[in-house]
Amino acid sequence: MRHVVVGLHAAGRTACAYLRRADPAAEIVGVDPAPLPVYSRPLISYALAGEMSPADMTVAGDAYYDALGVEVAPEKAVSLSPARGLLTLASGREVAYDRLLLACGAGPRPAGVSGPLRDEVCFFRGRADLTRILDRVRPGGVAAVLGGGLVGFKLTMGLLARGMAVHLIVASPRPLSLNVDAYVGDWVAARLAAEPGVTLRTSTSVDEVHAGTSRPLRLVLNTGESLEVDLAAAGKGVVPNVGWLADSGLPTDAGVLADAYLRTADERIFAAGDMAQVPDLVHGDARINAVWPVAVEQGRVAALNMAGVKTPCPPTLAQNAIPVFGSRMISVGAVNPTFTQDCATLEAMCPRGGYLKLVFRDDRLIGAVGLDAPPRLGEMAFAIRRGLRRGDVPQSWLDNPKNAAPLAAPGGATAKNAWLG
Amino acid sequence: MLKKTVIVRPELCVGCMQCMIRCAQAHSQTKALASAIREEILAKPRIHIGVGPEKKPFPNKCRHCEPAPCQEACMPWAIRSDVAEGLKIVDPARCIGCGMCAMACPYYVIRFYRDKNAPERPSVAVKCDGCFERVAAGDVPACVSACKTGALTFEDVNLYLKDATNRLAHAAYGVRS
Repeated sequence: MRHVVVGLHAAGRTACAYLRRADPAAEIVGVDPAPLPVYSRPLISYALAGEMSPADMTVAGDAYYDALGVEVAPEKAVSLSPARGLLTLASGREVAYDRLLLACGAGPRPAGVSGPLRDEVCFFRGRADLTRILDRVRPGGVAAVLGGGLVGFKLTMGLLARGMAVHLIVASPRPLSLNVDAYVGDWVAARLAAEPGVTLRTSTSVDEVHAGTSRPLRLVLNTGESLEVDLAAAGKGVVPNVGWLADSGLPTDAGVLADAYLRTADERIFAAGDMAQVPDLVHGDARINAVWPVAVEQGRVAALNMAGVKTPCPPTLAQNAIPVFGSRMISVGAVNPTFTQDCATLEAMCPRGGYLKLVFRDDRLIGAVGLDAPPRLGEMAFAIRRGLRRGDVPQSWLDNPKNAAPLAAPGGATAKNAWLG
Repeated sequence: MLKKTVIVRPELCVGCMQCMIRCAQAHSQTKALASAIREEILAKPRIHIGVGPEKKPFPNKCRHCEPAPCQEACMPWAIRSDVAEGLKIVDPARCIGCGMCAMACPYYVIRFYRDKNAPERPSVAVKCDGCFERVAAGDVPACVSACKTGALTFEDVNLYLKDATNRLAHAAYGVRS
């Protein structure tokens, strides 16, 4: 049996490890243009903030794939022919497969700017992007961050830690508008506005990038203002790398469509990670949740199915947890106000300033957002997966969310959910 | 699969918290109680006693899940499976204290403290390591050695399940008669 894994990051690497475990005799080929060093992408925000060195992002030695018995082709895959069972690489080499995993992730969404120096806008996706940004960091200088999502927020805090003044330019009325509800979004906006060195510009976007006079770049905003900066970096989400599959005949939407076993329309081809569009737990349709734990889980499940161990993948669930100004912010499932207008909500304030909001549809919990709230990400994800009912949330929970924790504990969400409440 | 592990019987726990003290002592630098409490970086327990209905005590520790949600959420690969078979062990030198593991853990067993093995970091993930060094030396985990009521025992999982099956059989025939 020959397994070919395209993309060797969170999903692909996990898949290689589990394929070897499930099928010790299998031939495994990994395809990735930059397989080494074996590093963890999300750590670039820690490296930018100076909390670790770029070298410390490496999580395994260069012999990692050799030790796993994985043959690595350090190339980009350029086309796929499911009918012939062949993957074509950039060099023209054709790789035959018995089972194929598509795990080549996503690239940064274009910044949507024009002007002669538009290519000077940096992205923040991988190691090369980090190097490019660090080359442009000027302590005491000025930076512009385009995008108010989680990546934009981390860019802002990282550049601030590097001694730069940061203009955070957000097209929405508040930062993190897609990730959290209005309360937490406004809280983050207020903290950002009060943070020395940060200028928050909401409902604003950058139209053009030109050469500056006092600084290297001049940004022209949609408000008509100009901003001279040393560095411009964008974090506007990601776009799955599916363009190269256009001629393959595999059904794609935003990403590669896959079923509950992560199998695509071709039974020999599987998809995992940031390019896999799979059934979503709370929205009911197929979606991509481009976060680390989901990619790792999908890599594991895809590998087991490729090896013949039929394993369903739990429906995907959006989940994020990041430290924000010393507080822990979590969001799970459907919390975006756009998608939850018809939903019932419960809100509770914790005694020491924490906040918890639960979103219910048809009496079932579908989303939660918390700020320093005792229930953690794993607990809330667990409660959503178990279908916590509105009627099973006791009043003591809402009077003090500190009581919430046992609700989501194993066993707690099955019977009446509130047996310890 | 972890063959020999700590079995928790909460119904036997009296909440004396000796397991917590011995656990912290076993993870201190000096390993002696009198000196451990004077160390600059205090060792912390990896097992905790929760309080349930009617103030019943509940010992809570890492289950060393497989697959482990904490390990899947760990971005710097600081939670390792290759130190001791069946155990998920935090490498303090790699932990960045991001808290993802604690947020992913459904059992509330990961906490954050300064650690003697990574003194330069403000806090790292601290959780049960199965006392793998003690076990390798032929000893039992510290919490088990401290438990006087049988609430914590170190047993072969399959033998424990066999005993449980026998108890079930006795209960079933008892009901019939």
